[in-house]
Amino acid sequence: MESRILQLIAALRASGVRVSLAESAEAFSAVDLMGIQDRESFRLSLRATLIKDVKDLSTFEKLFPLFFGSGQPPEMGGNPMDDLTPEEIQMLAEALSQFAEKLRQRMERLMNGEQLSRSELEALGQLVGLNQADNLNYQKWMAERMKRAMAFPEVQKAMKELMEQLAQMGMSRERVEQMRQLIQQNMQGMQEQMEQFAGERIAENLSEKPRGENIDNLMNRPFQALSDSDKQLLQREVQKLAAALRTRIALRQKRAKSGQMDAKATIRASLKYNGVPMEIKHKNRTHKPKIVVICDVSTSMHFCSELMLSFLFALQGQVRKTHAFAFIDHLESISEDFSGTNADEAIQSVLWRMPSGHYNTDLGWALNNFNDEYMDTLNSGTTLIIVGDGRNNYNDPRIDIFSRMSCRATRTIWLNPEPPPMWNGDSDMAKYAPLCSAVLKVGNLRELANAVDDLMTG
Amino acid sequence: MTTIFDSTTTVKDELSKQKYIASDEIATIVYLAQKLGKPLLAEGPAGVGKTELAKAIASATGRELIRLQCYEGLDESKALYEWEYSKQLLYTQLLRDKLNDTLGKAETLAEAADKLAKEEDVFFSNRFLLQRPLLKAILSEKPTVLLIDEIDRADAEFEAFLLEILSDFQVSVPELGTLTAIHKPFVILTSNNTRELSEALKRRCLYLFIDYPNLQEELAVVRLKVPDLNPKLAQQAVEFVQKLRKADMRKSPSISETLDWANALVALNASNLDKDVLEDTLSVLLKHEADLQKAKRQLNAPPPQQPKQRPPDDYGKFSGN
Repeated sequence: MESRILQLIAALRASGVRVSLAESAEAFSAVDLMGIQDRESFRLSLRATLIKDVKDLSTFEKLFPLFFGSGQPPEMGGNPMDDLTPEEIQMLAEALSQFAEKLRQRMERLMNGEQLSRSELEALGQLVGLNQADNLNYQKWMAERMKRAMAFPEVQKAMKELMEQLAQMGMSRERVEQMRQLIQQNMQGMQEQMEQFAGERIAENLSEKPRGENIDNLMNRPFQALSDSDKQLLQREVQKLAAALRTRIALRQKRAKSGQMDAKATIRASLKYNGVPMEIKHKNRTHKPKIVVICDVSTSMHFCSELMLSFLFALQGQVRKTHAFAFIDHLESISEDFSGTNADEAIQSVLWRMPSGHYNTDLGWALNNFNDEYMDTLNSGTTLIIVGDGRNNYNDPRIDIFSRMSCRATRTIWLNPEPPPMWNGDSDMAKYAPLCSAVLKVGNLRELANAVDDLMTG
Repeated sequence: MTTIFDSTTTVKDELSKQKYIASDEIATIVYLAQKLGKPLLAEGPAGVGKTELAKAIASATGRELIRLQCYEGLDESKALYEWEYSKQLLYTQLLRDKLNDTLGKAETLAEAADKLAKEEDVFFSNRFLLQRPLLKAILSEKPTVLLIDEIDRADAEFEAFLLEILSDFQVSVPELGTLTAIHKPFVILTSNNTRELSEALKRRCLYLFIDYPNLQEELAVVRLKVPDLNPKLAQQAVEFVQKLRKADMRKSPSISETLDWANALVALNASNLDKDVLEDTLSVLLKHEADLQKAKRQLNAPPPQQPKQRPPDDYGKFSGN
């Protein structure tokens, strides 16, 4: 039982649920306490101790039955031969003999109404490459392939023919119907067995999968070279980054807190002491970090816009006063999209709303939009972050607006995936760069992390 | 008198005595939290009875409920303790003579300072310590239930600050040293899931997700809390609320709003859930103008009809495209 729980934990981890050592120890003491007789309370004690996020609940519900199955093997119809009269058996054998050797064997296997044995299942699994599968989404598909390996469709067709033939040979209709139902049930049972087996095997593979070894490599890989699954993996790292950014900002502002003397409050406090200013009150500058981010989601940035958006999303979750904007040919506020808790949904909704086209990036116009509608989001204490490559399709860069923006904001930071030598062609980066407090190259996640570091310590 | 839950069924019974209907899930996890001495983190949409659960546990176990409401900018001086500065000042003023006596005999400045240092403890003792909810829960002579409400509203720094309390049930006050809980409080944290909580905090808690109840559960709650409502109407009302939740609303009605509505129906002496009653009372249930309009439109909309058959088109061949 213990090793089974450990396997479940390993599988949870491999599916992306974060389970700490303390939590798994906790799970054991909870199970000790509740016992394992009652499956429901056993499930709840594991769930309460291992899963700490709504998003992960469904993963748990999927994996739990695979490790601690309902214990009921699927129901089989039974052997239809059992209650056949000798002459009916004779008929059946005759009808069967008309099918090719291989097909006949398979049909007979279905007729005898026995469950698939462990070794049969193993062999089938081997055949369809189940041992390499380590994603639960493949469970159905793997079962389907196993079914095909057992030639289910052909057998099904052959069975139909068999029934017709039996009817022709003079077997009564009820008899044939009865047999058909039994066989149907047998197939159903086997199918369930295969699905269950596929699920269990995938779950086991998951629990043996080495984890987390390549996060470091991924951090250093350029955004262009990341696959979708890599990006998934990096989402969590991005969240950590945003948390670090927030802590840094908060620290800086804590230090700046002891501000001017507050004359009004000091006089008010002095009344208690007969007008002698015993307590000197200071203005408590509740400096809350304010960030305005403008993100390019155009075609030229497509390879990294998802990660950048997820960075923005995490940032918005951490710093309450974040205004996020995205632009291609015009500017749109995306703070509203980011108000939920699901990063993927938020990002998809932004990318869906702003599909990238061909050569339609217009940063100048986007800046103009910003000037018209959102200029008041920038004030003292705001950090302006721009994410983009500054490629403007030879449109007017509107340097005038940009310089006004950078004047209003305390700091202006530009995160650009391209290094300075590549700022040529339609890139207006060279014009924007002098107006920024800093231009940082972020070609991969490691550089993004370093940029965050620089940004806040510098 | 304090009761201790000794099985999941006792949890259920005791809570139902407090008019709180606990599902198996809630009962099991509450029992576990108490047995393992772990804080309980309850998450779920607003108004499903997370805070109510804490209150019910407190009264079921006969413990005092200490509540800390979180908000943005909450810091330790408001959550943990504060030195009562003006009281300290007042005492120094009043005790000036006494101090003069003590210090007057000193020959040198150094000796006076030493003497003063010996008396220092007087001014940094429990006498001048203003206890805020967390410290109160820890120093309480009797076991308590500590409710940290809407933790997701507090800043991330505050979460970090809670860690010591949640894992060891102790706090450090620089002037006094470490104060350890006499009785471990039963800690319940609630969160509306408006932001991710830190891993470290989650790790220390047992997790309970409370979702909107299903029809039977909600009906049971309504029957229990608003016994005056006639059963038929209660059934209709709950069915209506459940339907609203399935519709895409800006804010789905919560259980507490269902209860308010049920009370309103009783107050209005409604006997049937007809259109007029609904129009009058809907604002109890839905708090956004857009939602209200939407619900009203649904009410007024005629039942879906069969699409009208187009009359045979004699001119079909001329209509082209």
